[in-house]
Order: sequence, then structure tokens, then C-alpha cells
Amino acid sequence: MLAQAVPIVPLVTPSAKDLLGLLPELILGGGFVVLMLLDLVVPARRRAWLAAFAFLFIAASFGACMWGWFDSGSGRALYFGSIAYDKYAMFINAVLLISAALVVIISPQYLNRRGLHYGEYYALILAATTGMMLLAGAMSLMVIFLAIELLSVSLYILSGFSRHEERSQEAALKYLLLGGFASGFLLFGMALVYGETGHTQLQQIEAALRVSTNVDPLLLAGVILIFIGLAFKASLVPFHTWTPDVYQGAPTSVTTFMSVATKVAAFAVMVRVFTYTFPAVYAHWQAIVFLVAIASMLVGNIAALTQTSVKRMLAYSGIAQAGYILIGVAVSPSEPLGTIGVLYYLAAYAVTNIGAFAVITVMAGRGEDLDSYAGLRGLAYRRPYVAAAMGLFLLSLGGFPPTAGFFGKFFVFAAAIKSGQTSLALWGIATSAVSVFYYLRVALLMYQRPAADQPEYQWSRSTFGGSAVLLATTAGTLVLGILVTLVYSAAAAAQGALLPVAAG
Amino acid sequence: MISTGAFPYLLGLSAFLFTIGAAGVLIRRNPIVVLMCIELMLNAGNIALIAYGRFLNSVEGQIFAFMVIVVAAAEVVVGLALVTAIFRLGRELDVDDLSEMSE
Repeated sequence: MLAQAVPIVPLVTPSAKDLLGLLPELILGGGFVVLMLLDLVVPARRRAWLAAFAFLFIAASFGACMWGWFDSGSGRALYFGSIAYDKYAMFINAVLLISAALVVIISPQYLNRRGLHYGEYYALILAATTGMMLLAGAMSLMVIFLAIELLSVSLYILSGFSRHEERSQEAALKYLLLGGFASGFLLFGMALVYGETGHTQLQQIEAALRVSTNVDPLLLAGVILIFIGLAFKASLVPFHTWTPDVYQGAPTSVTTFMSVATKVAAFAVMVRVFTYTFPAVYAHWQAIVFLVAIASMLVGNIAALTQTSVKRMLAYSGIAQAGYILIGVAVSPSEPLGTIGVLYYLAAYAVTNIGAFAVITVMAGRGEDLDSYAGLRGLAYRRPYVAAAMGLFLLSLGGFPPTAGFFGKFFVFAAAIKSGQTSLALWGIATSAVSVFYYLRVALLMYQRPAADQPEYQWSRSTFGGSAVLLATTAGTLVLGILVTLVYSAAAAAQGALLPVAAG
Repeated sequence: MISTGAFPYLLGLSAFLFTIGAAGVLIRRNPIVVLMCIELMLNAGNIALIAYGRFLNSVEGQIFAFMVIVVAAAEVVVGLALVTAIFRLGRELDVDDLSEMSE
């Protein structure tokens, strides 16, 4: 018989300090509720106000993050070790909030043109961002699961936001079914890890793994299942099959958001779980992560070569980029530069990819989305600045200096070489060379004269918001490519204050 | 009261249900059945959590299971709403037919 009495947990309540530490997430969560209510009173013609309100909440949350960056010091755990309040979470939060803000700015114009301007859109963006931020700080398996579901369910609805369009509904259902499938793996893995270590909190799991000498196969199964669940969210091969369809079918502004923010959040939690919680079993998960990284780089880059849709091309390019980021995760237990590289890469990927998607979002005309390669033909003659910005984003995605993408790849590959995994870095460099073909193909297309017998795509006029976002992302891409120390030192500080390590 | 000896069976049951669910997602074509299979996978996780919680004499597993039940319900709500929306667009409900976009 098992012991009859379940130990009585003393009634403890979170302190004010816990609440203050969670301020960025609380502001956004509150923003979600306020926007849902505001949607009832704001007249339909004035929906752009909701975007302004959403932007205010994001800005307030960003301010709280900045305060948290300095206040958290070397980091501490909130809510009895369930949520981390450290520079690492604040760095990721800042990247997520900037992404969300840029998406909110380009959305009203795009949604109006597509006839999709419903108020729930902004509320759902805030809800998804809240989930992602919780994920960045999650230090308990329970919080990780809840945060992933919060962001996923919000994104399922956003993908299907174009209610009368089959493609959008199809994308949403595919995302939901495969996302739910992934959640099943994630949960079962968490159950096994909980069972084998006796804890759901990462710090305690890490401590339990450190002292145990034999490695239980069930524990390893749990670790692998958790990796599969997270790999789905980060769209890594072979769990990437949903990505191109969902990115293509979802409204472009939603794709802009989820292509960047989901990946940032998924990698943030992957580093915290795998590098800082499971280092004791590193030898067992290392090989699988290596294989997934190589497969993602190969499949993503090769499949992107044959695409004729910009969104699908960027989806496959995103899969390849996830493979590069995974190199950083794979080597980070033995090399701190790996984690710094992941952070730098995520920041670089965020500004660049949002820029690239923002171009096809703000240039989209009234009818069809700007999606086929043919639609970009001759863009440079009508919108020279937009085409130049797009060219810069494509160069950055391809990893050319002096852009953000170059240093993202540089740090990740350097970490791989420093930790003795030179072959991984070589795979990365070889596949980057392949990627240049499809990025430059699109860049060149914009500078080609449109064919005489083919009508030009009707690009929409630039608006203030769209231009501001393109300007900001261009500046970001260049700043991360030239003033490297600025973000590098922040990433290094974030890595230095990452929590489960501080506790050990 | 469950004896400790029942524990391997409980874990076996949960692994069995998880496998059925995962196989169902891959094999079945009706989105509603696929949703049910996902529920099966999540509930297999719940059984494992509760069994481990009982075995380890810790409440965390049970609390986790409660969270999962709520999350699973939320996911099904969105899933069924999407199925309804697609049905209204006049489509057959078969995941193989959901191929408006191709490679």
C-alpha cells in the first residue's frame, strides 16, 4: 500500500514581489481583456483605434521589461520556482514585444484591404504574445505546457482569421491538428520526466538528474518526447510539414507574427530546458538534436529552391533558419557561446524576417495576396525603397555581411567550432551557400522589367505605418550587422543570468 | 485504494492509449476523429501524470492533469469551430481533401 496521507501543503500565497516580476505578462494579459471589451464599444469604422490601444499595451509591457532587466539582477525565481525573473527572459520578452508591436502597426491597413478587420485580432495577438513571454520565463513543466497552449490556441484562431477563405480555414485546421498532436507528445514526455524525477520544476529536475547515476530509459523517452513537442513549434525537420501550408494559408500579417514570434519562444524554452535542465543527460540527446539540425538545414534550403510562392519560400527558409539556431542549442551545454549565439540569432532573425514579411504584407493589393514570385517582378521600378529594403532582408537571411543575419550565423557556427563540432558548422556553411540561390533569385526578380504581355501586380500605396515598420526593420538589420557589441553584450548578460544555473 | 503493484499496469495502459491516439491521428481521415485521437493522447498523458503522482505521493501530477483537462477542452472548442467553418464552406470533411495548397 502506498502511504495514505498526502502531505498537506501549507497555504502559501504569492508575494507582491512575485506579481511585480510578472508585470510585463500581466500588462499584456490585462490588455487582452481590455481590448475584448473595447471591441464592443469602438465603432466598426474606428477599429484602427484598437491597434493603437494594443500598441500602447505592448509599449507599457516593454517598459516593464526594461525595468525588469535592471531590477532582476542575477535573476530569481517567482511563484515558488515556477517562473524565472531573469535577464534571459527579459531579452526574449523584448524581442517578442518588438515583433508584436511591428505586426500591430502593419495590420490595420492590411486587414482593412482584405476585409478582415475584426477587433479580436489585436486581442488575440496580445494573448499569443503573453503565452510566448510566459514560455520564455517558464521554469516548471506545467507553466511550459500552459504557455505553449495559450500561444498555440491564439495562433490557431488567428490562422483561420479569414473566415470565408478556404485556404485560411484549411491552414488553421492543419495547424490545430498537428499542433494538438505535438502537444500530446509534449505532455506525455512531461509526464515521464515528472515521474522519473519526481518534480515538475526545472530547478528540482536539474538537481535530481545531477545526483542520479543511472539513466532510466523512460526518462530518456520523456526527454525525447519533449524535444519532439518543442520541435513541432519551432518547425524543425521532420516535424515541419505543417509550416508551408499554414504560412501560406494564414493572412500575411498573421504569418509575419507567427513565423518569428513562435520560433523565438520555442527556442527560448528549448535552451532553458535542454541546456540548463537536461545537461546531465546531454550525451543521450545530443545526437538526435544534431541530426534534426542537419536535416532542417538540408530539407529547408533544398525545398526552398523550387518554390514559386514568396510565403512558401520564406516558410522553408524559416525551417532552414531554425536548423541553424538549433546548432546553437545543440552545442550550448558545453559552450556558453552557443546560448549567446541563439539569442543573437533570434534577435537578428526577428527583425529580418518581420521585415521580409512586412514587405509582402504592406505591398499586398486589394484582391489577391502578394504571394507569387511574378507579383514581385519589377517592384524596384515602382517602389525603389521598398525593393531595396526587401533586398537587404534577403541578403541578411542569406547571411551576407554587414547585416544581422551574418553575425547570427557567425556566433552560432563559432560556438559549434569552439565546442569541437566543426562538422556541424561545415554543414551550416554549405547549406547557407545553397540558400543564396533562392534569396538572390527573388532579389533579382524585383529588379527585372515586367514582361510586356504580363500585367504588373497592383501594389498598394505606402502608408505611414508600413513605411515606419520597414524603416525600423531596415535599421535593425543594419544595427545588428554593424554595431554588433550592442546586442551581443546584452545577449551575453542574458546568458550569464540564466536561472537554473544560478541555482546550481 | 490502488496498490503499488498496479502501477506498472497503469503506466502500460497510458502508453497503450497514447499509441492508439498517435496511430489514430496518422491513420484516420475524419478531422473530428483526429481530434478525438488527440484527446486520447492528452488523456493518456493525464493517466501517466496521475499514476506517477499517486506512486510518488505528490500532488503535482494531479494538479497538472487538471490543467491539461482545461487546455484540452479549449483546444477542442477551437477545433470544432474550425470544422464547422469548413463544413459551411461546403467542403467534404476529409483531411486528405484539405490540399488547396500544394508543394
